[in-house]
Amino acid sequence: MSHLREFSLGDKLKVKGKINTIGIVGCGAVGQSITLLVARHGIEVVFVDVSQQRVDEIFARMELQLDDEINHWGITPSEKRLVLSRIQGTTDFSGLKDCDIVIETISSRKKGTEVEPRKDIFRKIEEVVSDKTIISSNISTLMISDLADVLRIKGRAIGIHFIEPCDKTNIVEVVRGVESTQDAHEKVMRFCRMINKKGVTLYDSPGNISTRMLVPIINEACEILMEGVASISDIDLTMRETLGHNVGPFELADRIGLDKVMKYMENLYSEYGNSKYKASPVIKRLVRANYLGKYVGRGFYTYKDDKMISNNITCAVIK
Amino acid sequence: MKVIVINCGSSSIKYQLFDMPSEKVIAKGLVDKIGLKGSYIKHTKADNEPVSIEGEILDHQQGIEFLLGIMISKKYGSLKDISDIQAVGHRVVHGAEEFSGSVLIDDDVIEALEKSSELAPLHNPPNLKGIYAMQQLLPDVDQVGVFDTAFHQTMPEHTFLYAIPYVLYERYKIRRYGFHGTSHKFVSARACELLNRDLSTQRIITCHLGNGSSLAAISNGKSYDTSMGMTPTEGLIMGTRTGDLDPGALLYMASKEDTSISYTNILINKFSGLLGISGVSSDMRDLENAAAEGNQRAKLALDMFAYRVKKYIGSYAAALGGVDIIVFTGGIGENDASTRKKILSGLEFMGVKTDPEKANVRGKETVISAADSDVKVIVVPTDEELMIARDTFEIIKE
Repeated sequence: MSHLREFSLGDKLKVKGKINTIGIVGCGAVGQSITLLVARHGIEVVFVDVSQQRVDEIFARMELQLDDEINHWGITPSEKRLVLSRIQGTTDFSGLKDCDIVIETISSRKKGTEVEPRKDIFRKIEEVVSDKTIISSNISTLMISDLADVLRIKGRAIGIHFIEPCDKTNIVEVVRGVESTQDAHEKVMRFCRMINKKGVTLYDSPGNISTRMLVPIINEACEILMEGVASISDIDLTMRETLGHNVGPFELADRIGLDKVMKYMENLYSEYGNSKYKASPVIKRLVRANYLGKYVGRGFYTYKDDKMISNNITCAVIK
Repeated sequence: MKVIVINCGSSSIKYQLFDMPSEKVIAKGLVDKIGLKGSYIKHTKADNEPVSIEGEILDHQQGIEFLLGIMISKKYGSLKDISDIQAVGHRVVHGAEEFSGSVLIDDDVIEALEKSSELAPLHNPPNLKGIYAMQQLLPDVDQVGVFDTAFHQTMPEHTFLYAIPYVLYERYKIRRYGFHGTSHKFVSARACELLNRDLSTQRIITCHLGNGSSLAAISNGKSYDTSMGMTPTEGLIMGTRTGDLDPGALLYMASKEDTSISYTNILINKFSGLLGISGVSSDMRDLENAAAEGNQRAKLALDMFAYRVKKYIGSYAAALGGVDIIVFTGGIGENDASTRKKILSGLEFMGVKTDPEKANVRGKETVISAADSDVKVIVVPTDEELMIARDTFEIIKE
């Protein structure tokens, strides 16, 4: 039986610098959207998570997500099979050894998910991958240069920030650290093109562009609300209609998750010390009362089955 | 002269190596599942059995590299060296208004093709990948682009325009372009050869019926109208495409199902047509089997398909002021006698009379109309690859 390798025309014609496999470490909601996004564009994905049970759950969730798309005429059943066939899940970091780019996407909601655990993940990734592999983090308020510090080859670290909903947002923030090399940057920009995103290059700075703009907007909206000037839905409506935003600040905060928003605020405030980033008391109260946003069914608004059912705030804490 | 013809799809490449001008096929094959698991090349050297060779094929360039490697290999090869290939002909789906004939590919052509990718986002990008790959692998060899839309560039304004504000045509070139042009051109010319008629005097309706289907009304050898439009979704009912659909119904459907533009596009292109109606399959053979077992929706899908073709034949006969020849081609048109019969039944009023015995022919050049039929009906297997090789040879020769 012949194999196609026998018919290769030689190394000079080989595809150079091809990106075949992407690694994802920590496959929560964001990790899953990135995994599906990448696999949809014909690239293999290996994700690593903490236990086999968790790996199985992640596959089940991604399958549900794809089934939902089939029901809404988004993809065909055979495309679903194709997408899933490109994804592998494992609990073992050695599964990442053939990856061209590995992206750390551990949840930033949980406590203890600051710099240290991410550094530990960076170390573990570097132990198994080749010297050419890019090691990345889906960071927004942390610094890629801090994470790169633990690597033997520091120039390979580069931030790739996917903005939710990442299948619909056309841009990706590509964050160059102090030591990120030109090669690493070019490879990541090529990866962005392969997944049909425009890479916006920026230099290491907490909050990048998106989160740094987002935080003061949400804070100011909370300020207007606290002063009793206008209702939540009217503030959102005004922002949608006058500033051309797709969603208003409260809807957006609910979508991101208020605990996550609060984390962003705390990180930026501790980094810049400017009060415009300081978490609004409204956000803090809602988080304490477990009004965490859309993913728990209540935040500024109330949700059922992922749909907003009420635009009247039900949480007494901010009345 | 050795001419290789390349037809790149999203994850496949069909290829044929011709000796020109003898038109002898030296080798042909299919590179399939590019970038996917289980990729392989099925290669057939002239007069030999096909061989299937498996291995990882990461992209179009690598696929083309392997197929060239096979062609010069001792085991399955037909060439001493890849430098024996003197020209490459590419099938390109959308040439927009830029290309009304085949062209030698240079940087300007590539730039124009990159622009027209917006009009054919599913088809032109893989065609371009094939062109880029060949430029890398055979940098000194001339390449020719043969366009699916080119033959229909003779359509007059009153048949190619949509009744939308004219300014939108001027701004975005929103108009009907038509596809399968290479096939319509080939089979109409071949039909005239076989019937010993002068192409430049005939009124011909060509029916290219396959997984994608279109009709063309050809007057004096030139395309006058065709059923596909700005995209290959317009016109006949296809395997998974709606064909003609009231734009009002489309908007209502999208609003009721709350689908985005991109999902609505998938809905009308991948979930509709024969598959959508029957719920069984997009494949005619599966539908015929299901209908034979009593599946009513499969039967309905078959009836709707034939009715739409018949309706178009009638309208094109009116548009041409009569018809001299009807040609059937494509997978369904060449092989599916029962669908052809359904389409032709009831057309006796316009001078169509079939020969009941010949009407059962499969995949062979055959006149299926009766000797005394006013309208000649003929089955002509299409050969787009040969047509591309001919155009390529002609252009290189010049």
